[in-house]
Order: sequence, then C-alpha cells, then structure tokens
Amino acid sequence: MNREGGETFLRLLAETEMRDQLAPSPPPWRGGPGAGRVKVKLVGQALTAVRALDTDTVEDILADFDLAVSVRRLHGKAGQGPAGTGLPGAGLTGTMRAASAARLAAQVQFGRSGPLAPLALNRPPGSTGSPGSADPRDPPPPDHEPGQGAADRFVPLGLTVPLHHDGISGDLYLMSFAHTGSGARFIALWGKPTLSPQHELGLQNPELFPIGRFTVTDDRGSAYELDFTHGGGSEWISEINLHPAPPDDICWLEVAAPPSPAVRVDLTPAGGPPGGEPEVSEAALSPGEQLLIMLAEQLLTVAAQFPLAQRPGLPEISPRPVQAMGAGLGDVIAGLEAVDVLSPLSPIPARLAALCASLRIGGHGIAAAPADDLPERWLSLLAYYQRRKPDTAQVRDGYAAVTAALPELDGIRLALVGLHNTQGTTVLHVLARGVTREGRLGPFSVDLDFPLSFWLRDNGGRWHAAHPVGWNPSEPEHAIGLLLVPPLPRSTTWVEVLAGGRSAEVRTRLPLRWGFPS
Amino acid sequence: MPCGQGRHIVRWEAGTLRLPSHPDAEAELVLAALGGEKARCVELAETWGRHAEDLSVLAIGPRGPADEIAVSWDDVDAAAQAGQRGGRIGYRPLPGGPGRGPMRVASPSMPTAARAQARHQQDMQERERAARRRNDMLSLLALGYGFQVRLIGQVAQAHADRLDEATETETETAEAVTGVTGVTGVTGITPALVAAIAGRLAPVAEEWLGIDPDQVVVSLHRGSGWGSVELTGRGEQRRLRVSLPAGWLARVWAAGLALTGRHLVVAVERAGWPDARVLALRAPGTEPVPLDVHASQPDPVSGGRQVRPTAADAPHWEV
Repeated sequence: MNREGGETFLRLLAETEMRDQLAPSPPPWRGGPGAGRVKVKLVGQALTAVRALDTDTVEDILADFDLAVSVRRLHGKAGQGPAGTGLPGAGLTGTMRAASAARLAAQVQFGRSGPLAPLALNRPPGSTGSPGSADPRDPPPPDHEPGQGAADRFVPLGLTVPLHHDGISGDLYLMSFAHTGSGARFIALWGKPTLSPQHELGLQNPELFPIGRFTVTDDRGSAYELDFTHGGGSEWISEINLHPAPPDDICWLEVAAPPSPAVRVDLTPAGGPPGGEPEVSEAALSPGEQLLIMLAEQLLTVAAQFPLAQRPGLPEISPRPVQAMGAGLGDVIAGLEAVDVLSPLSPIPARLAALCASLRIGGHGIAAAPADDLPERWLSLLAYYQRRKPDTAQVRDGYAAVTAALPELDGIRLALVGLHNTQGTTVLHVLARGVTREGRLGPFSVDLDFPLSFWLRDNGGRWHAAHPVGWNPSEPEHAIGLLLVPPLPRSTTWVEVLAGGRSAEVRTRLPLRWGFPS
Repeated sequence: MPCGQGRHIVRWEAGTLRLPSHPDAEAELVLAALGGEKARCVELAETWGRHAEDLSVLAIGPRGPADEIAVSWDDVDAAAQAGQRGGRIGYRPLPGGPGRGPMRVASPSMPTAARAQARHQQDMQERERAARRRNDMLSLLALGYGFQVRLIGQVAQAHADRLDEATETETETAEAVTGVTGVTGVTGITPALVAAIAGRLAPVAEEWLGIDPDQVVVSLHRGSGWGSVELTGRGEQRRLRVSLPAGWLARVWAAGLALTGRHLVVAVERAGWPDARVLALRAPGTEPVPLDVHASQPDPVSGGRQVRPTAADAPHWEV
C-alpha cells in the first residue's frame, strides 16, 4: 500500500479545494462554503478506512486546512485567493476585525475540528447483575466451559413466557437460544406490560422488567442464575444469560415467572440447518472495492429512507442528503487508486456511477462511464426507492424465530438469532465473532467495524439491505442489531441471507416463524 | 510590532529573526524565568523558533503575492482573549458519553467514570495545544507578508536539508548493499513538501503559461540537478509536470524570483542582492539558461516602520 501517496493525494486535494473555495468566483460545481472541507474530510475518511492513513494525519491536514481557510476568509477580503486571482498589492491594508478573530478563535478552538469518526455506541455495563433464580431447587451444576471442542448451538424458539406480578401483566417472548464459547443465553423480547389502576395513576412505581421473578431449570433439575443484558432503546430486546452455562447434552430448559406456569424450551435440533446448507462462493475484492461497495449500499439505504421530490411537470429530484452524499465520490476513487487499493480496471466505480445516475445525483466526479450491470439487489432497492411514497404503510409489529450460523467470512463468524419489527422498522439480531468494536466510521458514517455486505431477499424476490444500528460489544462475541431497509413485511415466510466479504460470499435460505406480541 | 508600551522593530536578516530593541534577549528570558515579565518581541522570537521547522506553516502560509493574509496585532489579542474566555462553540460529546447506544440499566462503573475523566483531561489538553498553535500562527502571520514568506523558506530549507542528508545516506547504503543507486521517500516530509510546492507553483504556472492551476502536477526532485518541467497532453488532458527540489521554495520562491522576466526560475546559481544569477526556463521541455537578474526595492507602500511589510513591499526582479 502506498501510504505516502495517500498523504500526498490528500494534501494536494486540500490545496486544490482551498484554491477553488477562495477564488473570486468559485465555479458553481465546486459547491458552497465548506464544500471543500467536506470533500477533504470524506477522502481522508476513505483513506483511513483502508488504513492507508492514520486518523491523526488526516486530522492534522484538516486542522491546517481549517486554519488556512479561516485566516483568509475572516479578514473581509473574500475572493482573494492563492490562485493568481488578484493583483499583488491590491487590498493589502485591511485586517480582519477583532470580532472575526474571536470567531476564528472559537472555530478553531479544537485545532482538529471535530472527531473524524462519530463515537462508538455505548456498551451496557455488562449486565444488570440481577440473579434470576429466586429459589433454586438445586445448586447449579459445575461450571461448564462451552466452546472447548463443543459445537455452537442455535435454536429458534418462538415461545411466550407469561408474567403476572405486583399489578403488572406482561409477556416475555423467547426468540432463540444461543450457546457458544461465550456462554448460553436466550434472545428475548419484552412485551408491553399491562399496568394495574394503581400503577396507571402513578400511585405505585412499577418495575417494568421484574427479572428477579424468572427462573430457569434444565431437564436434570439444575437451576441457573440469570443475568440480563438489555439491548436498549425502545426495542425492548434482552439477552438473558445463563450462569453457569448448561451442559451440551441437555434436551430442554423450563422458563417460568411463578406463579405463572413454566414454559418448556426444547433444545433438540430438528436435524440439520433449517434451510439447508449455506452455499459459499469465492470472491476477490480489494480493500478499495469493498469500501466502495459499502458506500454504495449506504447510499442506497439512505436514499430508500427519503422519497423522491416530485414536482408536477418537472423531473424528479433526489433529496438534499442523497445529493450531498455524491459529492467527492470521484475524489474518493482517485484517492483509493493513489494508494494502490483500487485497480483502475475495477468495475465497481462504473457501478457507483450508474447508481448515482439512477439516484439523479450529479457532481460526483466519477470518471468511469456508468455501468449497465448493476447487482440485482441494488436494482431491487432502487426500484423500492423510485416507487415508494411518503405515506407507505408501516409494517406491523412482530418477531420471527430464526437462527443460523454462517460459515466464517474474512475471519468473521456470524450467527442469526432473531428478527423483529417495531415502529415500522425491522431489526435482525446477530452474534458476531472476529470483529472488534473500535467505533470506526468511514465516509457516509459506514460502520467499518462490520466490514461485510449483508442482504436479505424475501420470498417475494425483494432485497433488503442490512447495516448495523446497535452494538452490544462483549469480547469475543458481540451482539449486533442490523436494520433492514426496507423493512420486512410479516407476510414473509422465508428469506435468503447473503453475506459478502472480500474473500467469499455466503448464501443461505431460512424459514421464518413469526410471533405476534400484543 | 507592539511591545510593552511602544512599538519595536523586528528584522529578518541573513536567515535569522533579529530583535534590535532587545540586544540581550537571552538575559531577558532568564529574568522572565525568574518571574519577570517577558517582552512580546521575545515571545515572538520564541514562537518563530518553535515553528521554524513546522510543516503546518507551509499549509497555512501564503501561496504568493496575490494571497496576502492580513492579520493585525489587534486580531491576535482578540483571538487570545477569546481563547482565555473559553470561546467554545458547539458540543462535542465525550467518547463513551450519552449517545445512541443501548440503554444503560445500571450506573456507570468506576472504571467507566475514570475513563471518561481521563478522556476529558485529554480533550482539554488537546484543546489547549490547539489554542496555543492557533495563537502562534496568528502572531507569525501578523508580522506581514515579508516575514511569512521567509518563515516558509526557512521551514522548507530545514526539511530540504534533511531530505538531502537522507538521500546521501540512502544512496550510500544502496550502493553498498546492492551496487545500484536509488532512494526512497522520507516518511511524513515528502507529502507536505509536494503540496507546498504545488500550491505555490500552480499560480506561477498559470501566469507563465496560462495553464489551469489544476493541471499542474508536481513531484519532488531528489538528488543532483535542478529537476524537470514538461508539458504533456492536450485539452483537458494537458498537464504541466514539474519536478523540483524542496529547496526551490526557499531559494527561489521565498526570494520572489519564481517568475522573472517571463522565465520560470528553477534554481539560483549565485545568490546576491541586488544582483544574482539564476537558472531559468523560457518554456517547458527546454534546458534552463543562466540569467543575471537585478532587484529593485519599491518605496514602502505600507507606511514604513509603522505597518508590517506587505506583498507590495517585496522586491521586484528583472533580467
């Protein structure tokens, strides 16, 4: 990798952008004030993403760029720039006003003008630490070390555990059971509780998650301590971890919230993966190609969340955020080529150009002619984008019990452990090994910690792009929520999962068993 | 520049910043270290020294006479005072602070709080460093164009010398090991120098040939000789490919010699004032020819010693 070439490219880009932005009449395609900085930052993020540059170098270049532009802009002689754009000696006596200087001080207070990458999502503090087995009938079995030669176990459940306690009635939906080297847990969804009149009137403070009421025992009478990790937000997703991890050869567990009856959880696999063996095909993407694909998919998913602006008699135009994402793509491609992580012969830039054309994004600066062979999944999402209307009906709430362990991809092992719809969105829950949560975000805020292309195709043939929206980092296994765009209707009976890395692509077909929380 | 209750002259002479009003600046520094007040001129000399090899000077400083950066001492004072008041705008959430993450059910653990505190301190230190760097730069820019270009020259020359030393070492090593000559880049220096030359050569090339500054492609020449200048392609593919040594910024550009008598000056054969001999190109693709050049100093445009020297005060060279 040509790291020196990368830094040179970025510094030269900063020179060009400063020259253009400060010219007396900047060409309209250069964008308004700040467009140059956005472009330099975007390319810097791309070069950081492929590890051609470190974050500090990019931040230093941006800090110099900011200061260089600020000291020229704030002295009230707009247009005087470095590009031979004025006569020597013209307008030489003016100085920036003191107020401007103060503004400058405020603007460059950080020197490095802000983090390149937004912050990593927070990790809940491990667990609530609430022991769940209130009255164990037997002491827990001896500590078991799963993963020491034992295969991971993922079981789709779709069971409801009722709860009636202290004036609260509700349900705990068990989507799946996962037993890996990191331990055993249920992936669960809390139903919205029904409150007693006293709670409704605020006379009593309800405990919405009375986790201490739940017990879990196995087919040998052993009881387990429970440890809840909340997935967060309004999704009401929890991991219910079992301590110690149960032996590999147990057949069932019983989950109860006394005095409600226990629910038996059958852990016996039905025989073979539910949708057949995953198909693996080889791939050979360069780091630059992989990044461009991630950018394209981010562009598609962002676009899909905005309707086209329609004006009678005029061509449809893309919404402003989508338009803005196109600026600088040509420079990103040139930068990736400069550091030798993207071949000039790669077909991906042409596909990106075609995608921009389809989304009516101009000014992207991609030199390659638009390709005419876009991937089917891109076309599917484009079709969704172009036909959707702002009043599209939301998908109904629900969850699907679905599990699958995918073959390793680029050193990453993923297991699907559930899917649920809420408030018009669909989130697919996965457990991931081989990834590291560093909070690295690339251009367009793509999550570089999850360097895979992940799609679902429903039984109607429509594709749904998946990207991380929530992490519950826990080395070595992370729980990740993947948002599906567009959301998955509850009428879907099966999905085909497509996960793509640099070295391979995995496809597997899975049936969905929907549950319907009230 | 303002210093104490009056105004003092600051000179740049023979490669050094001089303070005629403070003949024993070192003694003043000792007194300052013992609790005395440090004169502003002396502070400025220290600032100059801190940035005499700072590559950021090349990224921030002027690209040519048309790119005058006018900062007054009042501006410097205002920026410093705003910084002391903590003129911070916006909100930058601390890493690990409240954000989009999963809901926290329990209170942050002590290690989490300690990490947040450490990050906060690091953030504060970074902010202070940035404020000092900004104030330093504003002070140096307030000296005026004449000083700005000389500081750029000084920074460029410091790194040019470093590159030359590296080239000699690497060449000797390569010859010793493989019997062939060849050099590799010096990490971290080359990109900044290439950009610095490109940013200053592009407007010169535009004036010389009428070429679009975006069509100027610069590389760093290392080793013997002056470099190369070639024009290739047509229309949008037209490129002026220039390879010059880092020392060009110091010896040619900073001296105001870059474009003299419709020639692109690529090297100085014999430095001097007001007469010098340079190597210059009449056109791309040709061999440079020696030219005897003569400088004329205009009358002070900016009011003599009362106001900092501007680009209009720079010497004008003719063949």
